[in-house]
Amino acid sequence: MTRSLPVWWRRRIPRYRLIGARCKECGKIHYPPRTSCPYCGSNSLEEVQLPRRGILESYSVIYSVPGDNRLNAPIIVGLVNINGVRIVAELTDVLPGELSTGLEVEAVVRKISETSDTGIITYGVKFRPVLGAGSGAGQDTGEA
Amino acid sequence: MNDSMVKVYITGTGAVKIARHYPLGVRDLAFQAGKQALAESGSDNVDFVIVASSLSYLQAPQLDLASYIASSLGLHGVRALSVEAGESSGLAALETAVSLIKSQEASRVLLIGVDKMTEHPSGPTYVMLQALYDTESDAYYNIGHAGIAALLMRLYMEKYEVDRLTLAYWPAMMHMHAKNNPHAMLPFAVAPEKVMTAMPIAEPITLLDAYPLGDGAAAIVLENGDELEGRPLAEIESVISATGMPSPALREDPLDLESLRTALGRLGGLEKIDVIELHDSFSIYGLLELETLGLAEKGESAKLVAEGYFSAEGEGPLVNPSGGLKARGHPIGATDVYKLVEVSRILAGTWQGVKRGDEETGMIVSINAAGSSSRIALLRKVKG
Amino acid sequence: MTQERPESRTGIHGWGAYVPRWRLPMEEIARVWGWPPHQYKGLNVKEKSVDSPDEDSTTMAIEAGYNALLRAKVDPSEIKAVFFGSESKPYAVKPSATIVAEALGITPVTMASDLEFACRAGSEGLRASIGLVSSGMMKYAMAIGSDTAQAEPGDVLEFTASSGAVAFIVGPREGAAAVFEATYTYVTDTPDFWRRALKPYPRHGEGFTGEPAYFHHIMSSVKNLLEETGYKPSDFKYAVFHQPNGKFPVRVGKRLGFTMEQIEPGLVTPFIGNTYNASALLGLARVLDRADPGDLILVAPFGSGAGSDTYILRVTEAVKEKQGLAPRFDDYLARRKTIDYALYTRYRKILTMLPRG
Repeated sequence: MTRSLPVWWRRRIPRYRLIGARCKECGKIHYPPRTSCPYCGSNSLEEVQLPRRGILESYSVIYSVPGDNRLNAPIIVGLVNINGVRIVAELTDVLPGELSTGLEVEAVVRKISETSDTGIITYGVKFRPVLGAGSGAGQDTGEA
Repeated sequence: MNDSMVKVYITGTGAVKIARHYPLGVRDLAFQAGKQALAESGSDNVDFVIVASSLSYLQAPQLDLASYIASSLGLHGVRALSVEAGESSGLAALETAVSLIKSQEASRVLLIGVDKMTEHPSGPTYVMLQALYDTESDAYYNIGHAGIAALLMRLYMEKYEVDRLTLAYWPAMMHMHAKNNPHAMLPFAVAPEKVMTAMPIAEPITLLDAYPLGDGAAAIVLENGDELEGRPLAEIESVISATGMPSPALREDPLDLESLRTALGRLGGLEKIDVIELHDSFSIYGLLELETLGLAEKGESAKLVAEGYFSAEGEGPLVNPSGGLKARGHPIGATDVYKLVEVSRILAGTWQGVKRGDEETGMIVSINAAGSSSRIALLRKVKG
Repeated sequence: MTQERPESRTGIHGWGAYVPRWRLPMEEIARVWGWPPHQYKGLNVKEKSVDSPDEDSTTMAIEAGYNALLRAKVDPSEIKAVFFGSESKPYAVKPSATIVAEALGITPVTMASDLEFACRAGSEGLRASIGLVSSGMMKYAMAIGSDTAQAEPGDVLEFTASSGAVAFIVGPREGAAAVFEATYTYVTDTPDFWRRALKPYPRHGEGFTGEPAYFHHIMSSVKNLLEETGYKPSDFKYAVFHQPNGKFPVRVGKRLGFTMEQIEPGLVTPFIGNTYNASALLGLARVLDRADPGDLILVAPFGSGAGSDTYILRVTEAVKEKQGLAPRFDDYLARRKTIDYALYTRYRKILTMLPRG
């Protein structure tokens, strides 16, 4: 199915930058930001930059690939926990045999869909295993 | 809860065998099931047609579907209403029908559940099925139809240390039950070992853990007990629903089916249930439902299933004598109506498939996706 | 130096490298296309980096830019220009620079544009950034070189055309990790390598890409700037040249009087191939990853068509604390995973009807 341009566009910034929403009423954080807090229903929300690193709590290697995604098969989806905020997102730059729960992952921006050579390319956050930097490199400041 | 004294009965049932019905469209399937149900109820006289359908809106787009189906049934001038609630569309339609009857806005309702899943190849269909999940969060990604269930299955296996083989007994039991269901799509036995080693579709889910893509239609006629025209097969005691978190990622415990828990609480507890039709689009959902309903301790349901506790010979309630979504099939918006047909036939004693023979109370459970909404219907045998 | 150069009021506040994970060994290409080993052995390239199917020059630029921001430690909204230099833009018309700027939080009050000058567009962005900052028009500007370089299957270019990105944040001299002492640009109309509109792969003049193009422009640019500034090759700790292969930068460096000790640390093509707009600038990023205060660096990017810039940078005390703030070039080098030619054709969309990019 063709992705709607406005539907993707209006949510692009949180998708690019991993910006979540913090509820001013109950204090809980969720991602991606919704119209109102999924926990208490308040629509008094503020943007919050999530840290880019999280822990892989679950994953699936999807072979029954939806749509025109053979190029990206198998698609790997993960449940990532960032300081208690859980996100379902695709994983990238990882082979099925390299996956395990507890793996430390970090957010990167990748192509999410590209269904034809004439249409729009949509980008957004995916997660990959953190670089084996070992020198504190890639630590997220939460500022950028 | 509706405290109307009006009783609602099922007086007619109809179901088409679930299959890849390439020659038949949505209206053809709805026609067959609808006519069967009307015939059993003894009259074509209805004042409302309610159609539960979901995927067909994406597969073969037709809006105001109920009016077109009513027309194809020859029911000109009847009142008609389409209901869509994803995989829980059928019970959502039942909720609507029961309210109409209890409020005496209608006295005879034809409820048809119908869906097509084979109008397109599997790739595009998986994209459409993704829309059952939250398109603003999880289904923004290419999660397919099985991705979220797979995430939950792995969480469950690791949290409760349940091995893959133990989880394979659910589909094995479903296939065993479906063998005797005349409208099942996959009426053949499958060994648990085969489930485990079948083609992976979304690891750890294999092809044999997942519902097949099939087309179907089922229908029931519902009547006000005070103005019965047909012979009552079963009484609808109650139907209740609740919404839940749009994504399991938002739940404190992603394995907690909180919408089903809320619906259960709204029902005010369970009396003894003899037969249950659960929503097992993927095995993990069926198991989580057993645990949410209190029929198994957390992490213990798969073991109980493997021991045969929920089979016809078991000590627990009989679960999914139809073969479940897994083996009977799961034409999304039609599925709950199949369950209504099956459970009312069991309670009426006309069911040809797996049964114990003394069932007096039945329960039907449905959830959409990983629990964006859940619904429970309770059915009772009509005495005398 | 006798007079103050405007560029000396500016320096590099942040740098960031990006190299995709996958590597295609040279012998795989030779095996598939029937080349003798001699064809690639002289190139001094072991393998080349290949982007994942969900990457393009824009996503790679975002990661390089993010790394540069981590090191610069500036509020992204303080960056007032983003230049995206590439010859493999995912869109022919629609700026990648706005996508990068939006993803990094730089939008909306900023200049943003895509530049094209074969392999030299990123370097042009760097020169423009220096101009905008030194003029006082803005405090910070970002220059990016990023490519998923195209090469027709079976063409000799295929041995080296690879994928990578690099980004620099240019700001005032104060607080910079390295200060620009002098810059120079030398361009002529020399058609050594080109790609016509709507064509997927570039063409080149084979040997013509050498003497009249690569060597003439780099030698002219470097010699002229050394003459202007009075520096001698031996004054430099590091010398980095555009790296279409592993052989040319060594040869041009030696001709100019530099030694292997000066050239080798900034030589990245032997490990990842030619990342086009990122090529020499990735070499600079690698040098900054290890540089010490006081080091003098010479960098000379080149782009076909043709032109070369030369930069002379002096490393400051600030470099040390910045080095550890983001992944280094070598961290990306270390996550390498080799693939075969079949997977390469899929990752590079050579096998499919999807757009190349």
